[in-house]
Amino acid sequence: MSDTDELLRIEGVRKAFPGVVALDGVDFDLRRGEVHVLLGENGAGKSTLIKTLSGAHRPDEGRILVDGREVTIGSAQDAEKLGIATIYQEFNLVPDLTVAENIFLGRQPRRFGMIDRRRMEAEAAELLGRVGVPVPPRARVRELGIARLQMVEIAKALSLDARVLIMDEPTAVLTSEEVEKLFSIVRRLREDGVGVVFITHHLEEIAALGDRVTVIRDGRSVGQVPASAPEDELVRLMVGRSIEQQYPRERAEAGEPLLRVEGLTRDGVFHDVSFEVRAGEVVGIAGLVGAGRTEVVRAVFGADPYDAGTVTVAGGKLRRHDVNAALDAGIGLIPEDRKGQGLVLDASVAENLGLVTLRSSTKAGLVDRKGQRRAAGRVAEQLGVRMAGLDQQVRTLSGGNQQKVVIGKWLLADTRVLILDEPTRGIDVGAKVEIYQLINELTAAGAAVLMVSSDLPEVLGMSDRVLVMAQGRIAGELPAEEATQDAVMALAVSTQSTNTAGDEAGDEEGKAPRGH
Amino acid sequence: MATDTLKSTPGASGAGGLRRILLDNGALTALIVLVVAMSALSGDFLTADNLLNIGVQAAVTAILAFGVTFVIVSAGIDLSVGSVAALSATVLAWMATSEGVPVWIAVILAVVTGLACGFVNGVLISYGKLPPFIATLAMLSIARGLSLVISQGSPIPFPESVSHLGDTLGGWLPVPVLVMVVLGLITALVLGRTYIGRSMYAIGGNEEAARLSGLKVKKQKLAIYALSGLFAAAAGIVLASRLSSAQPQAAQGYELDAIAAVVIGGASLAGGVGKASGTLIGALILAVLRNGLNLLSVSAFWQQVVIGVVIALAVLLDTVRRKAGATPAAASPAGGGNRGRQAVTYLLAAVVAAAVVAAMSFLHNGSDAAARQKVGLSLSTLNNPFFVQIRQGAEQEAEKLGVDLTVTDAQNDASQQANQLQNFTSSGLSTIVVNPVDSDAAGPSVRSANKADIPVVAVDRGVNKAEIDALVASDNVEGGRMAARALGEKLGGEGTIVILQGQAGTSASRERGQGFAEGLKEFPGIEVVAKQPADFDRTKGLDVMTNLLQAHPGIEGVFAENDEMALGAAKALGSRAGKDVQVVGFDGTPDGLKAVEAGTLYASVAQQPTELGRIAVRNALDAAEGKDLKDLVKVPVKVVTKENVGSFGG
Repeated sequence: MSDTDELLRIEGVRKAFPGVVALDGVDFDLRRGEVHVLLGENGAGKSTLIKTLSGAHRPDEGRILVDGREVTIGSAQDAEKLGIATIYQEFNLVPDLTVAENIFLGRQPRRFGMIDRRRMEAEAAELLGRVGVPVPPRARVRELGIARLQMVEIAKALSLDARVLIMDEPTAVLTSEEVEKLFSIVRRLREDGVGVVFITHHLEEIAALGDRVTVIRDGRSVGQVPASAPEDELVRLMVGRSIEQQYPRERAEAGEPLLRVEGLTRDGVFHDVSFEVRAGEVVGIAGLVGAGRTEVVRAVFGADPYDAGTVTVAGGKLRRHDVNAALDAGIGLIPEDRKGQGLVLDASVAENLGLVTLRSSTKAGLVDRKGQRRAAGRVAEQLGVRMAGLDQQVRTLSGGNQQKVVIGKWLLADTRVLILDEPTRGIDVGAKVEIYQLINELTAAGAAVLMVSSDLPEVLGMSDRVLVMAQGRIAGELPAEEATQDAVMALAVSTQSTNTAGDEAGDEEGKAPRGH
Repeated sequence: MATDTLKSTPGASGAGGLRRILLDNGALTALIVLVVAMSALSGDFLTADNLLNIGVQAAVTAILAFGVTFVIVSAGIDLSVGSVAALSATVLAWMATSEGVPVWIAVILAVVTGLACGFVNGVLISYGKLPPFIATLAMLSIARGLSLVISQGSPIPFPESVSHLGDTLGGWLPVPVLVMVVLGLITALVLGRTYIGRSMYAIGGNEEAARLSGLKVKKQKLAIYALSGLFAAAAGIVLASRLSSAQPQAAQGYELDAIAAVVIGGASLAGGVGKASGTLIGALILAVLRNGLNLLSVSAFWQQVVIGVVIALAVLLDTVRRKAGATPAAASPAGGGNRGRQAVTYLLAAVVAAAVVAAMSFLHNGSDAAARQKVGLSLSTLNNPFFVQIRQGAEQEAEKLGVDLTVTDAQNDASQQANQLQNFTSSGLSTIVVNPVDSDAAGPSVRSANKADIPVVAVDRGVNKAEIDALVASDNVEGGRMAARALGEKLGGEGTIVILQGQAGTSASRERGQGFAEGLKEFPGIEVVAKQPADFDRTKGLDVMTNLLQAHPGIEGVFAENDEMALGAAKALGSRAGKDVQVVGFDGTPDGLKAVEAGTLYASVAQQPTELGRIAVRNALDAAEGKDLKDLVKVPVKVVTKENVGSFGG
């Protein structure tokens, strides 16, 4: 290990779980002051790899070297001692404690055996200053938006004197503005000599931030390229084949309006939202996180109440706040939070697929389980769900296949209006394209699709019309031909001219003007 | 569902299939290990009679647990089932006897009572948004209270026609076992095949996903808790018909047994997982354990330890197995890994088996002298010095006469006592001494001992509707009178007093209270300003007395229906005890006598528990030899005050 700049080296790491080889010979190295991107499809082994670095898993074979010395990382404490900090997609923060308490959790500065709050808060403020975000150390974590939570996690990592910072898809939940802010923080850390392992699915971020890229496929490291490598090459390395077209939208003939929303209002959340979706049409809803997109579609589906307005499906008005009315009218919702709201994770593929049709396949109180199973088998095959069998637990499927199961349960129910909320978040390129194909098939068959997405290229690539929401209102509508990134962004921030666009956007308090 | 298990092992046959089933179900393995261990240790265990006994003894827990399975699968919890069972049984008995309603209507009303309690739970949880733990904890208290209110604290005899539910069918199949099996099948059907059953798994697995998939979560929850109440009512009726009486205090703590059975059976308290077959196995494990420990004469105190350890081990076995083997069904066998894990499972099972066997043979006090006479003593509780002294007397006498004595502790639970008596009968003892939790409830089990020609001697309390060879008892009513006289005379015939009552519904409390009331008639100048229960418990005596002193600061006397409560009251009174306020207790326990000597208690009506135990054992052995006994052997009680306490000696 001649390279004195080298912080971390992984050689030939293997890790098997019952029935699955998650890592099968991975090599990786990290230098001082670089951003090394880890790229791979879901299920390729990235998560397992970072878990072996953070002490959650122990490799079966292979070596991990830190500063040229071979180490075993048996626990989170070991990782901490070696200066390795990890920021997972799901944050490890305690919602009801303050920011300062979270940063120093378990290591609070003490005086006479009591926690020295003043010192703790002062040190927290300094760390937060280094990150460059004015979060008050005394704020409760529950009150913060998602972007700020991430900053708190970074401050926590800094407080541990981390020399290696691992970030698992930190940009997945951020708006583009927040992403920019995150990038500048990461660049500053890089200048300070921290080595950053950065996981992302967004190829454009690689060139913007990264120095080197290691691509992992099927548990193996299949190549290391500079971050300036063309996207095509990255995709080819990642998927193992080249992908012809990222957004294969085939427009269908637009028919009668199926879904009509008029004057929908929930006080303080969204106001006077009106739009319609025709049969065979894909309507995208773009906007910043917190613009009220998810809230509107949940209200349309009846999952949440609204104060005024109407929702009409094919001429029939729906009862307010009644999921079953929406369901009977043929609306289906693919929720934003796949694991928390879309799936029963410990149940099997077959059971999840049969969830929506459970009632309709019940006669005299008894469920026709054979029929349900047959139907599940049919739709799983149609969607190409990659699984060991219908009895496999959904928890053990990859993200893309999980999403196919969520979509599948609505296909079985003959859904005419499908609402997709962030349909491809955290899903790899290959599976994304399959889901887009599915949307094509649905609209070709005369269904209407309403799609909320923070992934702007996706909205632009797949929608026939784009609605842009800002601050709970529809700020404008663009036909596909006129919808460009600039046009959408201009509308998305349009009514916010008095505010600095909120990084606090996840919360209602984000509406209060706040300068920084 | 059982059927799923079968489906997932197509073509697996013979030994291979059996091994799969065992590996798939830790609880079943644990049950088999237990049965093998018990059979090896006790010759009386593996008989048809005893196995049916186990079935009967598992029935109530199993039926309750089936209902709780619904709730736990849907990620809730139901703590109220024991109380609801008691309430339903009480409603049935009260309607059919006191109110003269036709029995079939009374049965329907009892079932409706259970449903209604469950429904209220469901409303509180679904629409009131109370956490299930809290809502059902409230119902636990409400239902128990209502059953005491309706029955006025005393057991109500069960109508004859319903009592048949506790009998056998065709002379061998006990009806409780039949009810358990039928309800088990219904549970399996509901969970596996019905809309509501499948909804339970979805709701328990992810409530929000279920709601967004169009399941009517609130209504379903309502139905789930109502179902649990319905099963509780069924369990209550079965329980009470076994005992031929509805006991307001029945089934206390059964909710925890039921929850344990469900969890041992492989369900997760986090919801989404659980099966009827698993729950049945869980209930059987508990019953086998209790039965086996009785047969092996393991000390009553150690039994509780062993039961706790086995519960922990059974669930541990299941968790380890699941962690090791059950990950992705995908499992293209990854080399030696699988075999290694199987080995771990087997190893763990072997360790459990070895531990059980070793513990049993260690705790079980040698059965070397097969020729020696065996006597069984079933005590209502060992939680009270009085009964501990009865045991001491009995043990001393047994040692002196050279006989084996097995002591069991019913923990104040009539149905547990029925189980223990049944185990005594089937293990062929020469004679039985019983200290009934409740005189009516002990009837059916003593009758079956009669049938097997085993002589029975009752101690402290009698047994109704069955033949006993003798009753050895102190006279509680007379004792109550004596206490009234002692207190009345000390106060000079006037003043205000309060009474601390024992556990509502127990005969000791009723008789002492009755005697005291009669005795007090001689003292019209004495006014009873309050009567409150403190459950024979010292801590509760302290709390209740403290509260009463707030309301009645000027009282001059206290009658407590036992010494423990009297000592609690004295504590509450502090320096006033023995000076301004005279406290009279009952029982003459060592602690009580010490307090009399110290002057904090004015008097205690002393029984002689050691004598009771001694005389009971002697009489039982005489009965076994065919000697004629007096029907009632009275052991005198005596008022002990400071003057004569020396002659009693703690």
